[in-house]
Amino acid sequence: MTVTGVSVGRPLEAPPARRFRLTLPILLAGVAALVVLLSIARVVTGANDITSGGTVSAALGLAVPIGLAGLGGLWSERSGVVNIGLEGMMILGTWFGAWGSLQFHSPWAGVIAGAIGGALGGAIHALATVTFGVDHIIAGVAINIVGLGFTQYLSKLFFDGMPGGGAKQSPGLPHMPTLSVPGIGEPLRTLEARHWFLLSDFAGVLRGITQDVSSFTILAILLVPLSFYALWRTAFGLRVRACGERPGAAESLGVNVYLYKWIAVLISGALAGLGGAFLSIVAAGIYRDGQTGGRGYIGLAAMIFGNWRPGGLAGGAVLFGYTDALQLRQGGTSVHALLLVVAMLLAAVAVYQLVRQRRNTAALITAIGAIVVFAVFAVTDTVPEQFTSFTPHLTTLLVLSLASQRLRMPAADGIPYRRGQTI
Amino acid sequence: MAAAACGGSDSPTTASTGGASSAPAAASVKVGLAYDIGGRGDGSFNDAAAAGLDKAVSELKVDKKELEATQGETDAQKEERLRLLASGGFNPVIAVGFAYSAAVTKVAAEFPDIKFAIVDDGAKGANITNLLFAEEQGSFLVGVAAALKSQKGNVGFVGGVDVPLIHKFEAGFVAGAKAAKPDIKIQKKYLTQPPDFSGFGDPAKGKTAAQGMFDAGADVVYQAAGGSGAGVFEAAKAAGGMAIGVDSDQAALPAYADDKDVIITSMLKKVDVAVFDFLKNFAAGTVKAGPAIYDLKAGGVDYSTTGGKIDDIKSKIDEYKQKIISGEITVPSS
Repeated sequence: MTVTGVSVGRPLEAPPARRFRLTLPILLAGVAALVVLLSIARVVTGANDITSGGTVSAALGLAVPIGLAGLGGLWSERSGVVNIGLEGMMILGTWFGAWGSLQFHSPWAGVIAGAIGGALGGAIHALATVTFGVDHIIAGVAINIVGLGFTQYLSKLFFDGMPGGGAKQSPGLPHMPTLSVPGIGEPLRTLEARHWFLLSDFAGVLRGITQDVSSFTILAILLVPLSFYALWRTAFGLRVRACGERPGAAESLGVNVYLYKWIAVLISGALAGLGGAFLSIVAAGIYRDGQTGGRGYIGLAAMIFGNWRPGGLAGGAVLFGYTDALQLRQGGTSVHALLLVVAMLLAAVAVYQLVRQRRNTAALITAIGAIVVFAVFAVTDTVPEQFTSFTPHLTTLLVLSLASQRLRMPAADGIPYRRGQTI
Repeated sequence: MAAAACGGSDSPTTASTGGASSAPAAASVKVGLAYDIGGRGDGSFNDAAAAGLDKAVSELKVDKKELEATQGETDAQKEERLRLLASGGFNPVIAVGFAYSAAVTKVAAEFPDIKFAIVDDGAKGANITNLLFAEEQGSFLVGVAAALKSQKGNVGFVGGVDVPLIHKFEAGFVAGAKAAKPDIKIQKKYLTQPPDFSGFGDPAKGKTAAQGMFDAGADVVYQAAGGSGAGVFEAAKAAGGMAIGVDSDQAALPAYADDKDVIITSMLKKVDVAVFDFLKNFAAGTVKAGPAIYDLKAGGVDYSTTGGKIDDIKSKIDEYKQKIISGEITVPSS
């Protein structure tokens, strides 16, 4: 019914630019091409860690908290509520996750407790922004402060008395079981250790994603397509998104905007809480005051650069996790090899711009960029430590800002909505 | 009695405490202590300072007031915290951690009658005592232990934040490992760069970095990373490797009870001794401004043997210890 009025007045013409659609074959081909580039860089530089199973596995572990926080942001902002309080909800998730798994001696109880803890933060945010119409940014910042203070208070109350606990950290947490595809672990490891071109790289990547994967990681990955399905393929999701685009119109059609916003913000908090719980239960194995270290904000940024879409934010999170794993594991050596990958990527883009798009100036600029990066790669042996630690931030910012230059946020995102208003 | 000589303008306090060593008189000493990020209960550096303060409370009968820092705060907030203690009648005021450097310099100048102490920093002032440690000497010894224990000739160092203080740990560790095994391979990693101090409290990062080192062939990893160290222990456990603790005897701490099998030794930095000494001197009226260095000779740094995992090489480590104390070996600090 919404389609009827759209194209009537316009002359029928070919669509202005073909819309690029990321399908599964394209995605797989892209990943394969990337592995080829990485493999070339690995053989040239000898930085064997850039496609090792350990790196891929660490990348997954670092990407999950960011991705979950980003998903949380997605739910909230799709319903029109800006959620800068993700960090605070994540902090609540770390604490409740640790507490739950200690209290009930089960990591899965911790996962549920973490989600509830995060949803608690979501409830405060929903109460302030949806029910009382408080400015979203102010409410979010308040939650970040309250989340930190509240968990510190709770730690003093609960962890301080436990053996091995303290006011700043919990005792060690029970371990989350890990899953492996049986039978291929050792062959892959052997193949990887040969350091053959391409074969060893695929073996490394496969080993990273099939061996010793935490069940929580699998749950987190499943939540991405699940969120997509719920938001874009169900009537419920359509109503949530309508609240973020034109709440007045949604209200006029009988959607209870307050209720839908409440639900979305609660889910948002629960997802951010899950991200926090992952951090304390799986990634660290311990709760530690301040361990989120700004991951909630990074998740929010990944969501924005991912154009408020689940696929985009997951891509951003994986990219960040991968580069973070590289720089944490082998620092300068791996990042130095990454420079070669960047140079080759830029060169490929330049050729594409020249041949397929006929954008000569753009191709020239990109080519110069490729040469500069290659020159830096060629004249140095390693990247200084001062630079490597912000590699993930820089790479993610560059790639995502270049990849998505036409960001479109939900139209009514961040605007307090009062029942009965016409917009 | 001797207190009057150097007590200066704060003579009322020192004169009374300097008299008889009677407890009631000393009760008028009110200590203000400001923690670094992490605060009491961090199972590491701040807890050591707290232990020194607690000892002073029970043995010297001083009164105490403790304030904690928060993540990502500004210098102005640190100044305000010290000013609050100084103007609240607390004397002496102890600032724990190099992060207070600028704040102490400024606030100490505002309160010339009050004695300040700062741990781990060389801030200058007529009423500032610097409680400094020769971390490089203790790290040298655990470097020796790491090299001797390593089967693969490959060891790692994980630093929390890339700051000069942690460079001392690294320098000593590298020198020690090379002294014991000249051809040893040493991997190094700092988790974050200043002004991002999250590297002292992010176990997930510590775990990833240490895993990378174990995957690249290391079998012993030394961590000077505060709260991130828990992640290093986790990684050592998962990889079947060994780890070395820092600041406190971490194998003996209940906080790391699950990890004690992988912690072969710890570099001890006795902040508690320094804090207690300072308070004792204050009570006796013999506090001196300027650096007080706690090195191997003074018993300010050392290594631990809890768990008996380095008993077989203890005699060799002690040889190096004697050489450092006698001055035969000079350990580089950067």
